[in-house]
Amino acid sequence: MISWLPPAEVFVRVLYAMLLFASLWILWRGQNAPGGGFIGGLMAVAASAAYALVFDAGSALRRLPLEPVRLAACGVLLALLSGLPALLNGLPYLTHRGVTLSFGVVELPVSTVILFDLGIYLCVWGVFGGYCLALVRAIEEES
Amino acid sequence: MLLSSGRIPAWKPTANPILGEPVSSITRDNHRRGCNPGLLLALVPAVLLALLMAALYVVPLPWRLTWPWVPSLGVEFALYVDGLSAQFLLLITGIGTMVFVYGAGYLAENPRRNRVFVLLLLFMAAMIGAVGSDNLLLLFVFWELTTVLSFLLIGVDHDQQASRKSAQQALLVTGSGGLFLLAGIILLGQIGGSYSLQTLLTQAPLLQEDSRLKAALTLIFIGAFCKSAQFPFHFWLPNAMSAPTPVSAYLHSATMVKLGIYLLARLDAAFSDLLFWQYALISTGTFTAVIAAIQTIRERDLKRILAWSTVATLGTLTMLIGLPGNSAALAVAVLFFAHALYKAPLFFVAGNLDHGVGTRAIDKLTGMRRYMPWTAIVALLAALSMAGLPLTFGFIAKGAIVHAKEQVDALQLVSYAAMFVNGVSVAVAAIAAIHIFWGRDRSPRQVQPHEVPVTMLLPPLILVVLGLLFGLVPTLVDPALGAAVHAMSPGFDITTVSESYEFLAVVKAMLGAILLGCVILLSWNRLDLLLRRVHRLHKIGPEAWYWRSLEFLPLLAARQTRLLQHGRLPYYLLTMIGAATLLILILLLAARPDWNWPDLQTLNAPVFGASLLIAAGALVAMFVRDHLVLLLVSGLVGYGCAVLFLFTGAPDVAFTQFAVETIFVVVVAAVLLRLRRTPLDMRAVSTEARLRPLALAVAIVFGASLTALVLLMSGLPFDSVLADFYGEQCL
Repeated sequence: MISWLPPAEVFVRVLYAMLLFASLWILWRGQNAPGGGFIGGLMAVAASAAYALVFDAGSALRRLPLEPVRLAACGVLLALLSGLPALLNGLPYLTHRGVTLSFGVVELPVSTVILFDLGIYLCVWGVFGGYCLALVRAIEEES
Repeated sequence: MLLSSGRIPAWKPTANPILGEPVSSITRDNHRRGCNPGLLLALVPAVLLALLMAALYVVPLPWRLTWPWVPSLGVEFALYVDGLSAQFLLLITGIGTMVFVYGAGYLAENPRRNRVFVLLLLFMAAMIGAVGSDNLLLLFVFWELTTVLSFLLIGVDHDQQASRKSAQQALLVTGSGGLFLLAGIILLGQIGGSYSLQTLLTQAPLLQEDSRLKAALTLIFIGAFCKSAQFPFHFWLPNAMSAPTPVSAYLHSATMVKLGIYLLARLDAAFSDLLFWQYALISTGTFTAVIAAIQTIRERDLKRILAWSTVATLGTLTMLIGLPGNSAALAVAVLFFAHALYKAPLFFVAGNLDHGVGTRAIDKLTGMRRYMPWTAIVALLAALSMAGLPLTFGFIAKGAIVHAKEQVDALQLVSYAAMFVNGVSVAVAAIAAIHIFWGRDRSPRQVQPHEVPVTMLLPPLILVVLGLLFGLVPTLVDPALGAAVHAMSPGFDITTVSESYEFLAVVKAMLGAILLGCVILLSWNRLDLLLRRVHRLHKIGPEAWYWRSLEFLPLLAARQTRLLQHGRLPYYLLTMIGAATLLILILLLAARPDWNWPDLQTLNAPVFGASLLIAAGALVAMFVRDHLVLLLVSGLVGYGCAVLFLFTGAPDVAFTQFAVETIFVVVVAAVLLRLRRTPLDMRAVSTEARLRPLALAVAIVFGASLTALVLLMSGLPFDSVLADFYGEQCL
């Protein structure tokens, strides 16, 4: 094949990092622009799937922060917990609030919604990532 | 007679009581020792009773407490206690105390006693809620709670089939009655514009003009009749006797089965002058009482005899509520009290015999006074009241009933029926007190009969002594009865119960009943044989229908499962999409007067292109055979949608759609690659081919109706509430 390109392993490692970074950026961006936890999570799934296709399902699984079901569970838990602080302020459950942090010249809008979105992100990554990797593994075992 | 029980062996608890095996198995292996929770728990109803009595003295009735519950639906957690509720509360807590003390002795060796006590406590709470609610929906919630707890308590010996079947029957009958009740409550609420009982009662004349009232009342009748064991829903109550005796005495005689009567008595103030109300209640009540009296003679188990006589009393109560006039309300209130004071002790007597002798079969029990003298005294005193002899509270109840009938010129037929029912209840009283305890002790038995512990003697003794006391000094209960009567028929105030009837008329009625009772008692066995001969009638009785429907339901379920759950994916899709299409079409056509087609606009280039992409993908998909190509083509539809979203102001959705579509195609492609290796099922392929014309038709109709739906929706004015909200909340 084309010998002067780096091998697929090197390529996919870079791709993995880039996809994860992009997914996090989309997650962050989701606060005020198209993007968010669901789509960010799907990109993370794509990263895991790509990794599994080049290496194998097992090593892609090991790269996940937790095993898939736990990851999804943590995500759901985080999303549920993110609604609790509102109760302390006497607001309805899941009411979120935002502030604009300013660092001298840079102003950074932050909202507690990001916690909820992060939960969705982890849940999507855990569920669909786990599903994809299980599928890849099943195919590997068969061939 | 109509509803005989003998033919269905599965549920009739014959084995235990008649073969002489003690139900409360005295020698269980896992016999637990230690502190008996029953006595301690008896403090709960006792304290409640004390508080209630103190409150009744201090705070004048009615009491009213309201908390918002579901304000958006107009449902309040509203409590309202007037004389009628207070009478019930007194019975619930008073009899409850006795039941817990009795249970402490009766269940001492029972490994499931803790469960029984917990359920009984919960039951008591539910009963208090039910009779204290002002809101009909709240009442319904507590009503159903008592149903569920009754189910659990009847089935407490869940390792016996008879218990399980009886529990299931009680749940199905009273539970489905509850659904009718709910429908009736909702209808009544819609007619009256409120779910508050007190509001509804004050609007009675307005309600009576509404044409839907009869339907609402019929539904409520069905609910109340199921709960209070009125014909044709009465058969579950005697079967419920497989519960432990304290449970039977509490739920199935003194309190829960009177809940239906309570609701009718509550509504009596509003509807007692309706002819429909009077006819329905008088005929049902009388018929139930007669049927139950006949069934009583067919039984040999003391507890079931008592159960049938309870059904007869419930029928009498229903009949009395149907009678117009104030004296009928008084009779209802007195009979409530009197029945609880003599029937609960008689149930306790049945439990004592079970415990001390090991059987409840009346053929095997004679001359028991030698072994169980205290129980014999209790039985005698309770029976005196049940037979309505002078100087007992039962006599006063009888007097009130006679007076109520005289006041309104009740039908002659009703009077004859009442006489027969009274005769049977005298016979039952004689069996419970004289036949069992005073006859000669003939039969040899393995178990040496013995008297029961004091916890099982004191509660019934207290109740019968109270009955005697109230019979001797009726002025003691005048305030309670007066308040209850006032609640049932407002504007009527009695001063003394004992002066409200003529002594002579009552004695005359009583003598007739005693004479008839003696005849029935002496010919009990002959009557039983006679009834056994016409026994075939049970095949058309309501209980037979119950068992038939219980067999029919699984068959129906199996048939519809075979019809709908065929296990073939193409059929499933066809069924689901077909059903969805039907629903959408019906709704669309129903909304035809409001149809408003939007103005057609020229499409801009990107939207046109995206639509073309979607259409092309869909059309090609119809003709492609290869699954992998099919997948890619359907991916085309998804990308087309994403492009459409991108250019119609939803970039966020478009973004997600792109990602989802890509991952979907990749995952499904992986699955397909794997499936390719397994050979295709040719049979499935051929059915699929046969299905195609139908599938095409369904698809076209589905697509057309969805298109119409979307077009009509876009014809509606745009509601920007959500968009504005998010615009505001955005950082």
